[in-house]
Amino acid sequence: MALHSAIRGKLISVIGDEDTCVGFLLGGVGEINKNRHPNFMVVDKNTAVSEIEDCFKRFLKRDDIDIILINQNCAELIRHVIDAHTSPVPAVLEIPSKDHPYDASKDSILRRARGMFNPEDLVR
Amino acid sequence: MPNQVSDVNNLLDSLYLELLDLIEQHTECRINIERINNAGQLLLAKTRYNQGSNSISTAQIPTENSEDFKALCNVEKELDIENTIAGEKKHLIRHKVEKSQGYVEPLHWFAALPPTTLRNATEYFKKSVELVVQGANIQTELLAVMDKIERLKQIKKQLVL
Repeated sequence: MALHSAIRGKLISVIGDEDTCVGFLLGGVGEINKNRHPNFMVVDKNTAVSEIEDCFKRFLKRDDIDIILINQNCAELIRHVIDAHTSPVPAVLEIPSKDHPYDASKDSILRRARGMFNPEDLVR
Repeated sequence: MPNQVSDVNNLLDSLYLELLDLIEQHTECRINIERINNAGQLLLAKTRYNQGSNSISTAQIPTENSEDFKALCNVEKELDIENTIAGEKKHLIRHKVEKSQGYVEPLHWFAALPPTTLRNATEYFKKSVELVVQGANIQTELLAVMDKIERLKQIKKQLVL
């Protein structure tokens, strides 16, 4: 890990519950740019699915974001949008939250990877 | 480009093995993130217990109406053709806290004199950010391997016909 002050790379954004957002913000990923656009979104029980979806799409469009972190339970709510994003940039990482442990069977990338092991393809 | 079916099969075999290894690394990385985040969140809970339940909440974090500030952590890409199939690797850059340049200390959103539990929680989350970048590299490699397998399957189809 390098310690720089002049070089600016891309951002890591977060969509998740209070503790996930607070945690990663303490870790130093949070930013509010000059246009007052934050790179994080706190999801609570009152947050509408459409808000999560809009925020995720907004992060996908931003060219200063390289990694999008999203709690797996939030990702489940907008699974169709996450599955539709096949480009490696920005990388969408589904992470566990306090109340929802990581479930590999729900992860979009791992489901795609498992699809590669089609028995018909493996026969020579 | 391989010109014999056996060459393609051998390449596919090694890529499938690589894919299995990457799947294992991907899952292991997520479990490590979960473990580190849980430890950090436990310390956040201890801070709330000591300082009051509203001491660590979304009410303290900046909103769209707050002053703008820059992220202390950024991700940079570097070319790595020799060791990766994707051809690039991300690495983390951590900036020094320098208020005049917009790099603020996140701990101070929550307390002017942050308690030890909160400081320790921050250390866990910093470690978690490093794991996230590691996870992103594994994911990029995973996608590159899957892409290469698909392309080789197409080549194999053409060779068989």
